[in-house]
Amino acid sequence: MFARLKSRLTAAGLALVACAMALPVVAAQAPQQIKVGTLYASSGPFATSSQSQYEGLKFWVHRVNKNGGVYVKAFDKKIPVKLVSYDDQSSTDTATTLYNQLITQDNVNVLVADFGSVLTSVAVPLAQEHHKLLFDVTGTGAKFFTKNNPYIVLTSLPTSGVWPKSLAQFLNHKGINHVAVLYDSNDFDQSQAETLKHYLDKAGNKPVYYHAVQSNTSSYTVLLHRIAADHPHAVIEFGYPNNDIAFLQALQSSGQHFNMVFTIFPGQLLDLLRSNVGPQGLAHTYTYPTPPLLRYTKKVNFGLNIDQFEKQFQSSTGKSVDFLTVAGYNAGLMIQKALGTAPKFSQISMRHALAHASGKLFTLDGRFKIRSDGAQVGETLPVGQLQPQKGQKNNKMVIVYPPRVATGKAICPAPK
Amino acid sequence: MGLLEYALIGGVLYGLFFGLVGIGLNLIFGVMRMINLAHGDLIMLGAFGAFWVYHLLGVSPMFGIPLEVIGFTIIGIPLYYLVVPRLLATRDPEMLSFILFFGLSQVIEASAVLGFGNNQRSVPGSTLGGGSVVIAGQSFPFAWVVAAGVSVVAILALYAYLYHSRFGYATRAIMANRDEAQTAGINVHRISAAAFVAGFCLAGLAGVFAPYMLGAIDPNMGVDLTTVSFAIVVIGSLGQPLGTVIGGLVYGIATMLMQTYLPSWSNLLPYVLLIAIVLVKPSGLLGRRVRYA
Repeated sequence: MFARLKSRLTAAGLALVACAMALPVVAAQAPQQIKVGTLYASSGPFATSSQSQYEGLKFWVHRVNKNGGVYVKAFDKKIPVKLVSYDDQSSTDTATTLYNQLITQDNVNVLVADFGSVLTSVAVPLAQEHHKLLFDVTGTGAKFFTKNNPYIVLTSLPTSGVWPKSLAQFLNHKGINHVAVLYDSNDFDQSQAETLKHYLDKAGNKPVYYHAVQSNTSSYTVLLHRIAADHPHAVIEFGYPNNDIAFLQALQSSGQHFNMVFTIFPGQLLDLLRSNVGPQGLAHTYTYPTPPLLRYTKKVNFGLNIDQFEKQFQSSTGKSVDFLTVAGYNAGLMIQKALGTAPKFSQISMRHALAHASGKLFTLDGRFKIRSDGAQVGETLPVGQLQPQKGQKNNKMVIVYPPRVATGKAICPAPK
Repeated sequence: MGLLEYALIGGVLYGLFFGLVGIGLNLIFGVMRMINLAHGDLIMLGAFGAFWVYHLLGVSPMFGIPLEVIGFTIIGIPLYYLVVPRLLATRDPEMLSFILFFGLSQVIEASAVLGFGNNQRSVPGSTLGGGSVVIAGQSFPFAWVVAAGVSVVAILALYAYLYHSRFGYATRAIMANRDEAQTAGINVHRISAAAFVAGFCLAGLAGVFAPYMLGAIDPNMGVDLTTVSFAIVVIGSLGQPLGTVIGGLVYGIATMLMQTYLPSWSNLLPYVLLIAIVLVKPSGLLGRRVRYA
């Protein structure tokens, strides 16, 4: 009798175990669509950049859906992608509410941050709290990446703490001392300024001027005069596009001249800067060139290369390509890689899949390599200079450092 | 010493421009007791007017000034008669005007985004002559000097209008007491409409020089300009248009001094000044005590 009871209990136990094992299978049924949630800014100071980035992501969605959807390894099939997006109007308050909505109401499967560190900063703690992997496209603020947060991965651009490494090396290599650093007080610019100062200090090249201004600064004439009083050989301005435009315009109209001037966004939004500052105002300006100014055509092993992307994006949208469209598309590629290689359909599994792909992927945006905290360190930002060309209206982007990727020599000091 | 001189002279030039930026807001408040929260957006429209005059006609934006005056008059008169008499007839016109002009600000901004796009636009400094001007041994952008000069002319013209014309006397009478002015036989709506349009035109005029003083322009610049204008107006004295010039100078000089010696704090300064003025002299620097008879 006991034997019969024992066998019945064993059978019941096995059935329970079987049911328990079956539960996750039921729970992990393939969704009808993969919901990718993101924000964009239709107005406000980040609108230009945000919309470019959003266009790039939309292009990726359009492309994968045209091919039947994105391949999801956990279900071994292609699933269509649905893009869920809201307008944050460049406001961090609005963005906080909308990121929350994407996570808790829309239950998106993939969360993609809006452009830049300011609008990404509010997504980082929310994603961590809700255990949602944040595909951080261009929010490079060094503070976002911490050892105890596995729910973030930076898909394009290195973390901003890494950006000025080549610039610092270039300054030290060329023996340019008396450096003035003017930066905006936000995560993106501040972390670059701190890194640059760190490397310069280390080389005994202490900046002669090192000050922050508010991100909405639009008047640089008196600031430039103040900087000139310290007789710097190089002036480095870390700001957002509106700051770079106002700074370069003030430099042009003030009549001040410095041997070297560096700003960030001519390398990312050259057309915008060119239309506002003009070729003369940009002549001899140094910057970080990024795709499409920096072209990785042969090395690409995942997704379209820059030539293909430019051609297809322009024919599909009628718009021209800038770095941020590349970054938006590149974020899509990273989503594609994560879903295509993660054995489970979970946030952590996607994160592990990207960690596994780290160092092996080469996209149109460069090498994808992340640290354990999710910060991108694979893509390097060389130093480029916009050099006037005889008989041509526009300046040519010449990569001047590091030597292994250089396409020409720096014209330094810049002629008056 | 060179730095201090530069900051002071630069601050005066910059401050005169900001006096012009704020004066239209204060004129409308003085006459109608309404805060025009769309003021910054009108400046933005003026700035885009300057941009398009330069880009479409290839001429200096200065030639756009008459066009802008005509344009803002055409917009301002019907808007006044559509909105202001109705607001004044309500129980709380000040609060309702806040809401209405906020709505107008949003409509203008959204329409500008649709019409002009989000990208920053600018006008080369050379369109105002380019180069630089030496003042007290210091070199300043020529565009700054022109902007400050035109601001002075516009402010003097407003002064002449308010203090040396019949319309001006009537305007000041309405500023002092709208009901008494009406009882005295002044055509309050006609005078108020003129002040309303003048406020719009002054905003448009400030907009013409905005590309030179503020770097680039975009459809979203209005809100910041309204905030700064409001701070300047309160510093000078709310309802006292010429106090705005003092407010603008205080703002300009303080900002430039801060940019020179403590740049990180320069944008905070107008609001610190605003709080300080409200606490120490709530009626503003040129404000007088109100006599209740």
